[in-house]
Amino acid sequence: MSPQLTLQTPLQIPPEEIPIYLQQLWSSDQTGNAGSNTFCLLVWQPSWLEQQLVRTGKINGPIIGSHRQEIIYAARKFVLEGNLPHSTTPFDKSITTALGNKEGSTSAEDLRGQHINSAISALQPRRLITLAPTLDPNQNLQTMVAAYCPLPEDGANKAACGDVVVLRGHINSLTEGLDIIKPLLPDELPSWLWWNSNLDEVPDLFDQLAISQRRLIIDTALGEPGRCLGLLHSRIKTGQAVNDLNWLRLRNWRETLAMVFDPPQRRDALNHVSQLDIDIEGNHPVQGLLLAAWLADRLNWKFQSSNTFKDGSIQAIFKRSDNTPIQFRLMPLPIGNPSIHPGQLVGVRMICKPSAEKEVCVILGSETGECMRLEAGGMARMELLEEMVPIQSNPVEKDVARLLSSSRGNTSPLLAASSPIALNLFNSSSADN
Amino acid sequence: MSSTITNPLRVGLRQERVITPQCLVIFGASGDLTQRKLVPALFELFKQRRLPSEFALLGCARRPWSDEEFRIRMKEALSKQIGNENKIWEQFSSFLFYEPVDLQQQNDLLKLSERLEKIDRSNATHSNRTFYLSVSPKFYGSACRAIHSAGLLNDPKRSRLVIEKPFGKDYGSAQSLNQVVQNCAQENQIFRIDHYLGKETVQNILVLRFANTIFEPIWNRNYISSVQITAAETVGVEDRAGYYEGSGALRDMVQNHLTQMLAITAMEPPGHFDPEAIRNEKAKVLQAARLADELNPWTCCVRGQYGPGGSKESPLIGYQQEDGVSSSSTTETYVALKLFIDNWRWQGVPFFIRTGKRLAKRLSEIVLTFREAPVHLFDAVGGSPTSNQLILRIQPDEGAEFRYDVKSPGSGMRSRPIEMEFSYDQSFGEPSDEGYVRLLADAMLGDPTLFTRSDEVEAAWRLYTPLLELIEDDPQKLPIYPYESRTWGPAAADSLLAKNNLLWRRP
Repeated sequence: MSPQLTLQTPLQIPPEEIPIYLQQLWSSDQTGNAGSNTFCLLVWQPSWLEQQLVRTGKINGPIIGSHRQEIIYAARKFVLEGNLPHSTTPFDKSITTALGNKEGSTSAEDLRGQHINSAISALQPRRLITLAPTLDPNQNLQTMVAAYCPLPEDGANKAACGDVVVLRGHINSLTEGLDIIKPLLPDELPSWLWWNSNLDEVPDLFDQLAISQRRLIIDTALGEPGRCLGLLHSRIKTGQAVNDLNWLRLRNWRETLAMVFDPPQRRDALNHVSQLDIDIEGNHPVQGLLLAAWLADRLNWKFQSSNTFKDGSIQAIFKRSDNTPIQFRLMPLPIGNPSIHPGQLVGVRMICKPSAEKEVCVILGSETGECMRLEAGGMARMELLEEMVPIQSNPVEKDVARLLSSSRGNTSPLLAASSPIALNLFNSSSADN
Repeated sequence: MSSTITNPLRVGLRQERVITPQCLVIFGASGDLTQRKLVPALFELFKQRRLPSEFALLGCARRPWSDEEFRIRMKEALSKQIGNENKIWEQFSSFLFYEPVDLQQQNDLLKLSERLEKIDRSNATHSNRTFYLSVSPKFYGSACRAIHSAGLLNDPKRSRLVIEKPFGKDYGSAQSLNQVVQNCAQENQIFRIDHYLGKETVQNILVLRFANTIFEPIWNRNYISSVQITAAETVGVEDRAGYYEGSGALRDMVQNHLTQMLAITAMEPPGHFDPEAIRNEKAKVLQAARLADELNPWTCCVRGQYGPGGSKESPLIGYQQEDGVSSSSTTETYVALKLFIDNWRWQGVPFFIRTGKRLAKRLSEIVLTFREAPVHLFDAVGGSPTSNQLILRIQPDEGAEFRYDVKSPGSGMRSRPIEMEFSYDQSFGEPSDEGYVRLLADAMLGDPTLFTRSDEVEAAWRLYTPLLELIEDDPQKLPIYPYESRTWGPAAADSLLAKNNLLWRRP
């Protein structure tokens, strides 16, 4: 599906006039002029990497705000040119920082907020508000408005129209203009905030935007792990609806692991897990910890203790309901050409020791090399159950669209149950070292 | 046997679509279907957290019940399903409302509109409404007109109409009913329900065929020699004699459930998984289907009626002795048919269809029999080589099996058939949802994939028109063969297959 542009050129109007303008646009006395009755989406869209790549002339504009291949390719190239570790993920902050030190003043048209991914536009959002911070510290607040009607790709006549609002300017000027957002998000429609960036940047602004009645979309793979897990847990605890793209990307792993234990005769093994090993790409542990926490919650394991080691690995002890200890180890692996999502899982090994039966070793790997690594050490003497897990490579907008279309407006109970365990695993191990 | 231990890792992994805020209005809410199927299915959806929090079920019927009375009656009807989940039931029952409505009374329609608006305000259902006609089929047309005249179907995006089977009683009446319904609502608002399509195993036929590369290349006349589709019941007419006497097995089962199984088994692959693409293919294959001999339809159909049977300890009465059944009734409780499909894929392949009450076993299955190997190199243990068979078990013991020959152990080279099994229970260990759970959710989601479109319904009726006309005009040409209760039907049904040197499968 290709991204869609707004049909009309966005109209630049002063911020204070936007609510009235939009009210008139959708006034009910104009027949056939009703906006869609769906949801509003507020997007924090800094696109720092894209802006820096354009500024330094490494890619051409316009600035769109999507994770397109061209950006990923340029970022990977810069990792080699800039002597950054080869395991640096394309959207890592270090790339943006290093690019920021480079000369360059190329400018390009900024279409953030006007270039709507078709996966999202197919859901016919009522209003898309994009906050597009610029690199230029002198950029004053600009506000633009456009109505749009997504054209269904299948040609079906079922379009319902919405509008887009873009607030562009330096962070300081954007912060000053935040007052106009509230009246633009009608109470009768669900509103979402998609924080499309690192979770540790501009925390004050995050707090201002992420008010409790807004449903959050965040990515706990982006930002300092402690901040990511802490924020995830604290927001869920307040009852806010939190949707985590990092958790969403675990789905294939959870599904495959569940599939292994679907046949009833294998289920007893789940009561006898003695060891869990999780391998991740690079050193961002959140996704791995969330998987371990999910298993701990589902299988009633009690967390006992954890340690972090110099190589970034984390070891922990859980106890089963029969008090038998379970060894858990999270192992970061340096990968040369990492995925765009930091800390993606690459392998899982779970060893179960039923008392009267042969031991069972479940190995899930994203590639055969990883399976071989996890098979080593005599695993073949056990009943070996191995599965390949397809790597998630959806564009982030598609994942967001999936959340927008499937969320019930509350946090997944499984994520809610897993987040405190994951935080505990991380904090306890950090505190010890 | 279903496992009682659920897979703890499976919880929450089902990818369910979210139903928008919704008010489901059931007309005929005091009837049997509401208690037996619809409310239980909704309760199940509620337990699975698949109903939105902005939901309401408004039951409508002539009886002057209150909301509370409706809730009490539903609770009584569902007592087994509720078990010790009283708390969950209490939460669910707060979504249940009742409005006495006679659809022919203008005043009642006004009251209904007001009640719906009130529910929109109290339960935030945003005017999204699904109207479910669970009334007698003879009222479908007038009910549609009444709902339409009250303006309740005006918004094609927010209002839908679900119509139970049977949709018409022959080709002409189905056409007329389609006209009436389509005058009241757009086709994309109309959901003609056939609960067989809600069964996991029926939907699995689509996945089996179109998600695997090994089946589709051989799924045609070059490799398949015949297809048998069976829907057998062990029960008799029970308390449905009033309806069944005017309907019979042909209208009650064949025109809808079995024909839908036929369509899904025989359709061409759709271009993509899209409701219209699938329904186009189903309609096309039904339009290409015909009775094996349309000019002499009595040669390709056998009708039967169950007589007494059972054992000394538990004797079973015959159909004519059932309450509400005429002692000289000629309604068929069994029917077997031979069909052909005139297209490139299926030309010349006979499709045998049978259904009946009080048969030996309760089961629904589709059996694809493959052509024999061109040369028989080995002696067969059974005397003659057996054809490969793919058996799709719709119910019970849902799954599939593939029968093929292997070497019989021993020093010789003799072949014998064995079965390669797939069982839902063994693989997934969890019972699948009732058809109505899936279909009610789909209707509220506005997903028509598993509902029959007007052209499908008409094609299905047209297929059996020569038989219905014959039964009407010259019934002695299609005599009713009696069969003993709890057997596999009249022996005459074997003659349909005999011409092809085949036998009915006796599972």
